[in-house]
Amino acid sequence: MAKVRREAWAVLLILLLAGGAVYAHATTTTEEFSRYNVGWNGTSNLAVEEVRDLRGLPPGATLLILAPDVAFTAEEVGYLRAFLESGGRVLIADEEGNANRLLADLGSTMRVRPGNLASLERDHVDPGLFTGYPVGNATIFSGVETVLLNRPAAVTGGEPLLETSILTWDDADGDGRIGGSETFGTAVVCAREGNLTVLGDASLFVNAMLAGNPKFIENIRPVLIDAAHSRTGTANPLINAITWVRETPAAAAAFAALAALPVAWRFGRKIDD
Amino acid sequence: MNRLASHAILAAAAVLVLALLGGEAASPVLYTAENTSTAAHADPATIQKRSPGDADALVPLMDDLLGQTGTLALTIKLRDYESAERDLARYSELSRQFDRLVVTLDVSGTDIGEFQQNNRKNQEALEALLNDTRRFEDLKRLEIEVQDGEQRMAIAYEGEALRQKMREGFSAYAKREPATTRIAEHYDLNTTPYQQSVEHFAEVADAADDWRPATGGTAASPLAIAVTPAEGRYGDTLRIGGRYAGGVPGTRIEVYVDSRAAGAATLDADGTYNHPYRIGRIVAGPHLAYATAGGIYSEVATFEVLTQNTTITLALAEVNRTAVACTGNLTIGDGLPVAGAPVLIRTDDGTLAAAETDENGTYRTEIVLPGGEHTLRAEFHAAGYPLNASESPAETVRVRGEGLSPLPFVAAFAAAAATGWYLRRRRPEEEPVAKAAPVPESPGETPPQVEIAGLPPREAATVLFRALRTRLGIPETKTPRDCARIAPAHAGFFERYERIRYAGETPTDEELRAMEAEALGGGEGAA
Repeated sequence: MAKVRREAWAVLLILLLAGGAVYAHATTTTEEFSRYNVGWNGTSNLAVEEVRDLRGLPPGATLLILAPDVAFTAEEVGYLRAFLESGGRVLIADEEGNANRLLADLGSTMRVRPGNLASLERDHVDPGLFTGYPVGNATIFSGVETVLLNRPAAVTGGEPLLETSILTWDDADGDGRIGGSETFGTAVVCAREGNLTVLGDASLFVNAMLAGNPKFIENIRPVLIDAAHSRTGTANPLINAITWVRETPAAAAAFAALAALPVAWRFGRKIDD
Repeated sequence: MNRLASHAILAAAAVLVLALLGGEAASPVLYTAENTSTAAHADPATIQKRSPGDADALVPLMDDLLGQTGTLALTIKLRDYESAERDLARYSELSRQFDRLVVTLDVSGTDIGEFQQNNRKNQEALEALLNDTRRFEDLKRLEIEVQDGEQRMAIAYEGEALRQKMREGFSAYAKREPATTRIAEHYDLNTTPYQQSVEHFAEVADAADDWRPATGGTAASPLAIAVTPAEGRYGDTLRIGGRYAGGVPGTRIEVYVDSRAAGAATLDADGTYNHPYRIGRIVAGPHLAYATAGGIYSEVATFEVLTQNTTITLALAEVNRTAVACTGNLTIGDGLPVAGAPVLIRTDDGTLAAAETDENGTYRTEIVLPGGEHTLRAEFHAAGYPLNASESPAETVRVRGEGLSPLPFVAAFAAAAATGWYLRRRRPEEEPVAKAAPVPESPGETPPQVEIAGLPPREAATVLFRALRTRLGIPETKTPRDCARIAPAHAGFFERYERIRYAGETPTDEELRAMEAEALGGGEGAA
């Protein structure tokens, strides 16, 4: 009898471990920039509060739109305009040019110009991992002397906040060397117009980069992150289901009841015995 | 039933885990950090670091170089030759640093490379200006001191050659100004000193022109000179020659190019001389030639050396596990080899190896590389040649790397041998004892003489233990526990002694007497 009990405990333990492993595996993803990606290219370690509805954003807050890949409706653009006019700050981090439509809708002249910037001013072998220098006196770069950039895009228009060194070029042929028609020149990778800031390097917020620019990350906090249009919200069906359960009280209650059912059944059987 | 279910669940869990593992077994993520770079970004933790600071120095160095031209040209203009020498040395050092940086950062194909070439020519021009100005001063002084007509003619010829050379030098220096200034402005450099250096250079050249009337110019010389053709490229042979009116056949005619002896010719029977001049390592641009026959100087002839493109090849061959042989050819457009030229081999991490071409334009060098795949390129930087720089296509080589070190195997073998030796040595010691257990106690054996009277009880016990051990023939290295195992008939004695020895117990007199009896064979009749 005692042996059977021991085996039962062993089975229970294994099931718990297996369940934990399955849960951990199922609730993570390898999607770039995803909040559910705990790898180097995820944003799981970025301490931010997610928002999915742009209505009623708190005035004076900072909203981060990170690597947007979902279009904004006219209504949502209106909410953002109202938020900016109320003193809120919007930081759009994009290196693929997906934010250009939103920037145009917001009446901004700033644009993200995707390319393959490379620089000689770097301490890594990869020419796309190089140093940027803050210019001006923007709060987000207060106390920051250099920024480690990670394959950024250039930003045109607006007031420059972050520039590369003159020894930067658009490595059009991707060979990591300057040659052919490529020429050296400074590129702006962050600019602003009023409370709207555009950063041409969304990679600054991935897990592997947080330690590289601690002061910059500290400066943008506290920050809300748009989970409805950013790639940070990229998940998988299981994560979506879990998120839905968490955010839907009725579903959460149903699940709690479901979990309590075996216990109730067990106790009920004991009473019967 | 429960037990069966448990086993079934355990088996199912095991199968599930194995299946999950099997599904991921082919994934490289399990074994290597390959997924460390995407189009959007790279994982900095997995990217090799390189020494910082090299690139930071490039633009400031360009600024320093431009500043140095202004200082040097000014000191030359002021005839402050001591300061000019210092400025030139400083300028040369900065240029060397800059050249190294351009090669290290691999930017020779950019406008910075163009700036480098212009800077090199500017340095050569200012160095020549300094030397020519000094020589000019000497000539001026000599002109006053020398009264001999022939010598005065020689001074006039050399002065004219220098004057033309300085004029040509200034022309070339000024011609580079727009391009150099354009590049400098692109990098936001201060071009004022450089522009001032052009003005200073012009003033020095003009001052040389002013001296010309004082010498009366070059009088018509009986020694004529011409360079044909008037321009050429690397590898071409120009003819420097002319007629020496009144010259004796067989007279030796010395030929000078840029005031340096370039060779000699002999006057023919028809009164002409001819010296073939092959264009080799000489900078592109205008050059001067004149000839002398004893004290007779020719007029000064000019010719121009034009630039030409080069082609460099690279072939890789494995020498051994770590070394790679790099060979190739450096040629100009029509396949003519470039001899004695320096070649750089650049490996993927930027390290360089040097080689030199032979008379066939072929170079060969061996470089040692760490294991793995490497990309190499050969580069020719054309310093001092009337040639354009070139580089070979990148070639890839896989280096096997050092083989397994024999040291761990030798150590393992030594350890195994030592273990075998130890075990072999130990066995003969143990075996007799093992055979002796249980120890046959011969009835006729003489009991050892033991005296414990007056000893403290614990010491007395030790004496008795030794006595029994000796009597039983057990080696002294054995502990009480070993003894109990070897001689189980006396296990009680040994176990009691073990407690006395290690647990600190004190035997009673009665116990000591019993132990004495056993140690002395009392159990068999000694008591």
